[in-house]
Amino acid sequence: MSLENIDRALVSHDLVQDLKWNAGLREEFVKDEAAVLDRYALTAAERTAIEERDFRTLYDLGFHPYLGAQFARILFANNTSGATGAVQRLLASIRREPDPGRTEASGA
Amino acid sequence: MANISLAVAASHAPGLIGMFDQAPEASRKMVASAYGSLTRQIREAELDVILMVANDHMANNRIREYPDFVVGMAPEHRGPAEFFKDWLGCGEYVLPGRPDIAEKILNGLNRRGVPVSATRENLNFDDNISVPVVKTGIEASGVPIIPILQNVTVPPFPDQHRCYEIGRQLADLIENDLPSDLRVGLFATGGMSHEPGGVRDFWIDEDFDNWFLGLLGNGSHEKVLSEVTLERLDRAGIGGTGELLSWILVMGAIGERPCDVLGYTAWDKWRCGIGAVSWDMTPAPAGR
Repeated sequence: MSLENIDRALVSHDLVQDLKWNAGLREEFVKDEAAVLDRYALTAAERTAIEERDFRTLYDLGFHPYLGAQFARILFANNTSGATGAVQRLLASIRREPDPGRTEASGA
Repeated sequence: MANISLAVAASHAPGLIGMFDQAPEASRKMVASAYGSLTRQIREAELDVILMVANDHMANNRIREYPDFVVGMAPEHRGPAEFFKDWLGCGEYVLPGRPDIAEKILNGLNRRGVPVSATRENLNFDDNISVPVVKTGIEASGVPIIPILQNVTVPPFPDQHRCYEIGRQLADLIENDLPSDLRVGLFATGGMSHEPGGVRDFWIDEDFDNWFLGLLGNGSHEKVLSEVTLERLDRAGIGGTGELLSWILVMGAIGERPCDVLGYTAWDKWRCGIGAVSWDMTPAPAGR
């Protein structure tokens, strides 16, 4: 998973940066994810990967892992101290292991 | 002629604030001791400004337009940025800036061939600035800071040799461009081993971290530059361990000096090896 393979042009990067920088957009994303995704020129593969929380595919498309950790906190509603639950779910995805589920993510 | 009166380096990790009380006792004790020592040193150095060389975790720029360095020229630095506040478990802080000195750093480094950008807006700070500020009581000390955020995560970025050379240019700037008798502190924050968002997240390379601290303690900068390569940093954690390049930049600024290793600990839920060092700024550096 070398950083040399990241795709700087990937639209998903813009989506995550906007979600980080705009709390209102983040709220909207939680309420209606599809409506927010509609506004970004994501490829079909990117969009499906996001919808399926498939970080492995997203990374294979060139997504930067540092933003992956931040995106996981948004996707798994786990932005509290440490956010270990979100990272464990991200790790399960990129390792192709069973999803540890939402229990720890929501309770962390 | 301005003086570098303090030079220290320490890890940052979000869990050092919000998850501090959950950590094993030995880890808590080490952090309290090491950061407590840094707190005292900052107080005793009677600094006019702290240049905080920190890593930018893509909090301020889009990935396709990523500068190697961003200098914070705001009159006040407020943190943490909204998205990171709950994640850090961190209260808000306000630190005075030094726009006059920040402007000289911007211009001085660019004139010396180091491409640097800057902003008068408040930068977005995550654990990079927030953790050292909170853990070493900088807000209460009243010492102004100038954040110098460094790209270490979006390739290509300056390697260890280039960072060391940029540190030398920064020292020249401090000596020749800044007001005489200004007491400057250098605080490198970043690392140690970790792989944020990567397949080895939660893994900490304790062997690497202890080896690196040993190198600093032994004091041979030549050895650091020949052995702490980007490839070696990646082997100890892609996208995270490279944050130690901020330490190497500060080493370039001060030259070879005795280095006191203040401690090291690794707890997997902090997701990063935690170490801290302080260089002895009293004797003249070797070879100068």
